[in-house]
Amino acid sequence: METLNNKVQAHNIDPQKQSRIKERVADAIIGPLLNPALSIDVKNVTVSFPTAKGVYTAVKDIDLQIRKGEIVALIGHSGCGKSTLMGMISGMVKPSNGEVIANGKKVSGPGPDRGIVFQNYSLLPWLTVFQNIYEAVDSAIKTGSSAQKKKIVEENLKMVNLWAHKDKLPGQLSGGMKQRVAIARAFAINPSILLLDEPFGALDALTKSSMHVELLKLWNLDNREKTIVLVTHDIEEAIFLADRVVVLNNGPAATIKEIVDVPLERPRNKKDIVHDPVYMDIHDKLMGLLIDKFSIEDINDMKKTA
Amino acid sequence: MNKKILSLVYLVSGFAVLFSLWQIASMVTKGELPTPWKTMSVFFEMWADPFYDAGPNDKGIGVQLFLSLKRVAIGFGLGSLIAIPLGILIGSNKTVFNILNPVVQVLRPVSPLAWFPLGLAMMHVSDKATIFVIVITSLWPTLINTALGVASVPQDHKNVGRAFGFSRWKYITKILLPSSFPLIITGLRLSIGVAWLVIVAAEMLSGGVGIGFFVWDSWNALSLEKVMCAILIIGLVGLLLDKMFSLLQKRFTYAV
Ligand SMILES: Nc1ncnc2c1ncn2[C@@H]1O[C@H](COP(=O)(O)OP(=O)(O)OP(=O)(O)O)[C@@H](O)[C@H]1O
Ligand SMILES: [Mg+2]
Repeated sequence: METLNNKVQAHNIDPQKQSRIKERVADAIIGPLLNPALSIDVKNVTVSFPTAKGVYTAVKDIDLQIRKGEIVALIGHSGCGKSTLMGMISGMVKPSNGEVIANGKKVSGPGPDRGIVFQNYSLLPWLTVFQNIYEAVDSAIKTGSSAQKKKIVEENLKMVNLWAHKDKLPGQLSGGMKQRVAIARAFAINPSILLLDEPFGALDALTKSSMHVELLKLWNLDNREKTIVLVTHDIEEAIFLADRVVVLNNGPAATIKEIVDVPLERPRNKKDIVHDPVYMDIHDKLMGLLIDKFSIEDINDMKKTA
Repeated sequence: MNKKILSLVYLVSGFAVLFSLWQIASMVTKGELPTPWKTMSVFFEMWADPFYDAGPNDKGIGVQLFLSLKRVAIGFGLGSLIAIPLGILIGSNKTVFNILNPVVQVLRPVSPLAWFPLGLAMMHVSDKATIFVIVITSLWPTLINTALGVASVPQDHKNVGRAFGFSRWKYITKILLPSSFPLIITGLRLSIGVAWLVIVAAEMLSGGVGIGFFVWDSWNALSLEKVMCAILIIGLVGLLLDKMFSLLQKRFTYAV
């Protein structure tokens, strides 16, 4: 640092700029050392889509750092760009600007270190439940015999209580069952990052609750080392599961409105936390953030129509 | 069960109408057109010994039918073997599509029979030229539908392949082909339908053997009963071929 200091001074740059440069250099050097546990780093990302009516910017200037083992919930109104953000992290969507670092590597496409549950399940309708998961495991996990892979499929199907339905085609399943297959498929490849796009949306309250517990159980079993990003519309779900809740603004060009910490002790108990004043505070805050938007929108709409 | 009985009733009444009109027509033409009864008796006569073979110009109806079906099978088989891979290529590659699309558009409306002389020139044997015509016939519907099927694999299914890192081979066998199967089979179904239409005409042209030749030969022998029988048989066989593919189509259509 000493020599760097001298050099900078030797070039006679104004002190403010000088310190900024120092900061940046220091960041570049120490950053990764200070933050070895950074799992996902979304750096100033903008995503635009070419459409018939010109370029549509879905999300803009998104900066988001997620630590290893953290559970982060994304929440925001329909169409604001949550799936787009997830797609960027998974590598399915290319950012038009900025970059995403996952597990220390720049994301340039999907990889087996990131497991995805798509919003619309995306099961292959001609493959049985078992085959749907097996083909994913077979592709994503390069080593191991087919017997081992079958064992993995079995374990994961049992985890979501669908072993009895393993020979059915997706068309013969209910929405919730399809969703569970998609979850089992994402888990089966044992990724260090799980990207869940409204994974519990189609589930009834009871199944949803037990899936929440299952998810946390798996996360615990893995020493809380898996990073989980999940999109949800459900404030209770977000608070129960997440360490932080990211609230997005409405699109177009949606940005992060606010990131709300959830400092509730784990393990959390669904019945108890709802009476926790901290929970109630967070709940109110999130409600405010989301509904506030509604009212502003309403006023704008009224102005427009008036 | 009730539905089945009902559809049987419809079937029988349909044919009753057809046969009555036929009867009337033959009465009006004063026997130029054979009556249904006379035709039926010839029909059963023909099927009493369908596989007799008394030289090149005298074969049982079963033999003729078999030979036509064999030509269609070979021609349709070869045509599909060309059309499906080519369709996959056209459907999955924009450049190949752009290059081949105009060619297909120009060749597709040409009556397959126009290819017959070319086949004859290349093969020197009318049997092979007939098969060549069927090959050409079976190309277009399969080619176009396969290309369409391959080009319209839903994004969701492609995403699965990308997200889980499917190999090229796995992508083709587990996503691309199953996803385009319904349209490929639609293409095959259309192809076999046209092939069966064309074989009759092609065999009238090529002569020798086959159900088409049988029709022409019967006309020359002034046996309109046999011509009518052949028409019935051609219709029934065509129906069966179509049913076969419609069953296949059902088998490969999936609820999402
Ligand atoms: N491939 C695309 N081409 C053009 N526009 C797109 C594309 N994908 C998404 N968009 C647009 O980007 C915006 C954000 O879409 P996205 O699917 O990310 O929303 P979302 O927040 O996930 O919504 P929901 O809660 O309804 O799932 C929408 O306005 C959508 O129309
Ligand atoms: Mg979405």
